Amino acid sequence: MSENVIGMDVLFNPGSVAVIGASEKPEKLGSHVMNSLIKGGFKGEIIPVNPYSDTTMGLKTYSSISDYGKQIDMVIVAVPAKLLVEVFRECADSGVKGVVLITAGFKEIEDSSGIELHNTIGEIADKAGICVIGPNTFGMINFHASLNASFTPEFSRVKKGTIALVSQSGGISHLFGFMAMRTDVGFSKIIGLGNRLNIDFAEVVEYLMDNDPDTKVLMLYMEGIDNPGRLMEIFKKHRGKKPVIINKTGSSEKGDQASKSHTGSMAGRHEIYMGAFRQAGILAIDDTENLLDSAKALAGCPELEGNGVAILSGQAGPGMAACDVCEANGLKIVDFQNHTQGRINQNLPPLALRSNPVDMGPAWYDAVASREIIKAVMDDENVNGILILIMFASANVGVVNGISHLLMNWKQKKPLVTCIYAPPGIWDREMEHLEISGALVNFPSPERAARAMASLWRYKNAIER
Amino acid sequence: MQLKDKKLYKTAPRGYEMEIIQKALNKGRNTLSEYESKQILSAYHIPVVNEILTENIEDLLIAARKIGYPLVLKGCSPEIAHKTEKGLIRMDIRDDEEAKAAFDDIYSRMNGSGNAVLVQEMVKGKRELVAGMTRDAQFGPCVMFGLGGIFTEILKDISFRLAPLEKRDAMEMMREIKGSKILESVRGMEAVDLDLMAQLLINTGQIGLENERISEIDINPVIISGSKPVAVDALIVLA
Repeated sequence: MSENVIGMDVLFNPGSVAVIGASEKPEKLGSHVMNSLIKGGFKGEIIPVNPYSDTTMGLKTYSSISDYGKQIDMVIVAVPAKLLVEVFRECADSGVKGVVLITAGFKEIEDSSGIELHNTIGEIADKAGICVIGPNTFGMINFHASLNASFTPEFSRVKKGTIALVSQSGGISHLFGFMAMRTDVGFSKIIGLGNRLNIDFAEVVEYLMDNDPDTKVLMLYMEGIDNPGRLMEIFKKHRGKKPVIINKTGSSEKGDQASKSHTGSMAGRHEIYMGAFRQAGILAIDDTENLLDSAKALAGCPELEGNGVAILSGQAGPGMAACDVCEANGLKIVDFQNHTQGRINQNLPPLALRSNPVDMGPAWYDAVASREIIKAVMDDENVNGILILIMFASANVGVVNGISHLLMNWKQKKPLVTCIYAPPGIWDREMEHLEISGALVNFPSPERAARAMASLWRYKNAIER
Repeated sequence: MQLKDKKLYKTAPRGYEMEIIQKALNKGRNTLSEYESKQILSAYHIPVVNEILTENIEDLLIAARKIGYPLVLKGCSPEIAHKTEKGLIRMDIRDDEEAKAAFDDIYSRMNGSGNAVLVQEMVKGKRELVAGMTRDAQFGPCVMFGLGGIFTEILKDISFRLAPLEKRDAMEMMREIKGSKILESVRGMEAVDLDLMAQLLINTGQIGLENERISEIDINPVIISGSKPVAVDALIVLA
């Protein structure tokens, strides 16, 4: 393992964490960091450092890192920029391996002293082999180590899962965290890169690919980077190993208007990035909601082997909405095999839509018929993935229980993406149980379900060579 | 022509393109004329329109015999961009009389900024595509594909890939544009020979990789003649 990898291993899985600038005052970021560590249930040693207090939130507080006297693995820094050089020298002297540098206000401000400071601490860190996340970051969370090294304790309410979010924007990371809470998405890590002192997308992606068994899907939010060529090489090297999906902002940026050629004037950075992503086998997704939905589907579904889908709906309308999105995104609403259609016809009256998309409405009261239809479609060789869309009605309240055993046993031999939707409190527990056991992946609208299914297919195409 | 990924088939000896570029740089120019640009393309086995550079009526008529009517005449000079706007292009010239009149007219409009008229075969084909290369500060040479002619600027229906392109990259970037159906067999037209078009894109990237001084290439339009792409106009910018 390279020094970097060892450093990042310690950074994400430290035995002890010191908080430089620990405090109890809510106006200090250090107090929120302390809350994150304590309330997040971190099992290792928490070491508050603040020369002006003896205890912080009931923990003995030290005046400096060296004052603690024992090995400290990782340090979270939330003190003003002017103290950083001293803090970094101390970290280097005492063998700290990782730093989360929350402090902001140097490279991003238009003042050359800020850039100098950035470079100075960068040199100290590189020389001592310290991996630094930040500066100007909210921090990072490793859900599998119950480590919330951020200034937002509420991140700990996100479920533990297999998606790693690597983001250049703190605000967007918070957005994803809160969206994940509402749509039952689990994360392995959330990493705010900030201004990237020595840990950039390239280092994190390589680590997540090679050294992080907790992560199955990489979800990236990127604004722009200095050395995209190197990152593309890393993506290519790991093509197909773990899905990588990315939302890159900047589509409104224009090409060089002064350019003499059409090619030059139309070559916006965004268009070039999109081409490069495609060549590197990663999937670009153009909005945040779809990015999270796609990550959820990629993490929760098996591979979509072909683009043939079946749509089974409890009511015709949602089925039609999903059809439109599927067709527009490269999926095919397939014709069923004859014997499949025969089995469906036995269980639905002729007045219903019995070919794909199937309207299962008339089978509402008949759990056996619903199951028979779903089973027939599961067995159909033309079908690569199934969308089930059921809106609650008082009369069909029993349908989820009626089909859940079948879905649990089938365990997505093919991707099963659903929009099974009801007023809050109804079906919630059943759906959560189905999702946790891997029986399906559920979304709050038929279009989002269909788009997520389409992302499975787009990803499959993206990695193929 | 056999088509294999990354393989390049040049018609001109290696170094020929260097000669053209060096000559232009020595004269302090940073653009190549249409004729020079296409010489470089053809050195990289990109199919270009049949054309002869002429400087007087006598040569014009010889060229017309060789290529055959109908013809296109274009004022040709590295100093002149936007030939259409300046009235320096005459299409569908049917006989010697028309050719002579067009030659004189173009000559006078060029206003001393050049003294050559390009005599071209009039390539028949309704579909116009664009291929190009731009050297990006971070990514290096990038290849563009899209709808050509007047639609290039209006619709901006384009896609990019980093050079070197593999065959698959070229195929994907053609499929990726919104108007990709234009490549299929539509309204009685043959489907575009995708292998040839892919090779054109691959080779365009190769020009960028092998010639540091070339910063931009426009091949616009690439007209689809029957099923085959032909570079009808081209511009190469040096840096």
